[in-house]
Amino acid sequence: MDVVTGGVTVVCGDSLKYTDFGLTNMTADHDGVRSDGGIDALDPPPRDVMDEETLKPETLARNAPRLETVVQLLNNPALARIYVYVCYWGPVAPPEIMEALDLSKSTTYEYVDRLVDLGLVDRDDSTRPQQLTADPIVIVEQYAPIVITPTVLHALALQEVDEDVAYFIDRYGIGKLIAALRGAGLHFAGKTTQRMVATDIDVRETEAMMIVYALKPALVVGRDHDPFFEYLFPDVADEMDLPDLDQVSDTPTRSSDLDG
Amino acid sequence: MDTDTPFSADQDVLVDANIFYAIGSPSNPPYQRFRSVVQNAGVVCKLPRRVIGELGGPETDRVRTALDEGWATIIDAPSPTDGDAVAASDIAKRTIANETDQPEHEVEKTDAILAGLAIQYIRDRSSAGVVVLTDDKPAKKGIENAVRAQGYTDTIAVHGLEDIIGDNSGDSMRLI
Repeated sequence: MDVVTGGVTVVCGDSLKYTDFGLTNMTADHDGVRSDGGIDALDPPPRDVMDEETLKPETLARNAPRLETVVQLLNNPALARIYVYVCYWGPVAPPEIMEALDLSKSTTYEYVDRLVDLGLVDRDDSTRPQQLTADPIVIVEQYAPIVITPTVLHALALQEVDEDVAYFIDRYGIGKLIAALRGAGLHFAGKTTQRMVATDIDVRETEAMMIVYALKPALVVGRDHDPFFEYLFPDVADEMDLPDLDQVSDTPTRSSDLDG
Repeated sequence: MDTDTPFSADQDVLVDANIFYAIGSPSNPPYQRFRSVVQNAGVVCKLPRRVIGELGGPETDRVRTALDEGWATIIDAPSPTDGDAVAASDIAKRTIANETDQPEHEVEKTDAILAGLAIQYIRDRSSAGVVVLTDDKPAKKGIENAVRAQGYTDTIAVHGLEDIIGDNSGDSMRLI
């Protein structure tokens, strides 16, 4: 069988790792998750993208946990939502998450524990209340193609609070959602019309217009808070005509900005 | 023209589908602001039949509400034999292709028909002028070019949503 994925660059915090994610088997069997993160599978990558160094068992083993965490995020939008919140607005304390995301205390602590166990969130217990932080994650794979950044995880997480996003993912999956996110960015930069987005990603015009506006929050916040925003929008990151974050009334505040 | 609104009474206001998606459902503040600007100006939004289809039909909440309250109405697409309208649509199409780096045949027909409609309205019926609303920048430019080419810049204006309800579209946005 042809290898259809190449090396994957994973950056988490300041560590840079290069690994084979074996993505053909990674997600194909999970509900609603596309293995390619895009619309169509491209030509197989060149054979020499994999070398002995990359394929060393110890290298593969070292990166396996990171793969599992990303799959967890992709398959669990509620978890992804908390991760993105902590990543963007941390350091934050659990009560702030409860309030900002409208979650129960038990749900919040359960998910925070899971994120800490997965190594996605760091918990500082030396203060009361405990402070949580999260390093941004980026996965870029040019051959599949796959691009996963905090902005992408945010878009995915919006299905928890936006019925249009939930509908779109239910019908088309995550790969097409990422394609729609890219299309939305191009639209707000004036580089495409919404009807062209519909044709490009093969959804109905109605659905394209709906998802372009539904994904707006991920772009508004992402261009301010996502250090990897340009991986998805290398060409138009600075050209999007969107409201500034400080004009949005319910902008969460960093705990360090709060009194006491 | 009233300084608070880009509309004046008796103008024909042609509206693209994306405007209705941008303002959201009737409970959304941007929807309510848009409605109040339109109603205060005493104009009626004209929605091409094709646009109504893209909005999910006349029974969709945001469309039904506007139709029932009398500030929107459904109109037909320009006649395919109307030379001026066809020429305007072609100019719009060419501009959109240019703006988006796409071949002309890739441009969606509906993105260009508002240009033809605007020309048809100003020529045949509108004494007070025509306003076209679209939230797509390449489409806006396409209509503007068509209007300029046919010499109607004084009587046809093209606006985005921001021009109508102000630059505060983010004030009701749920971020996460």
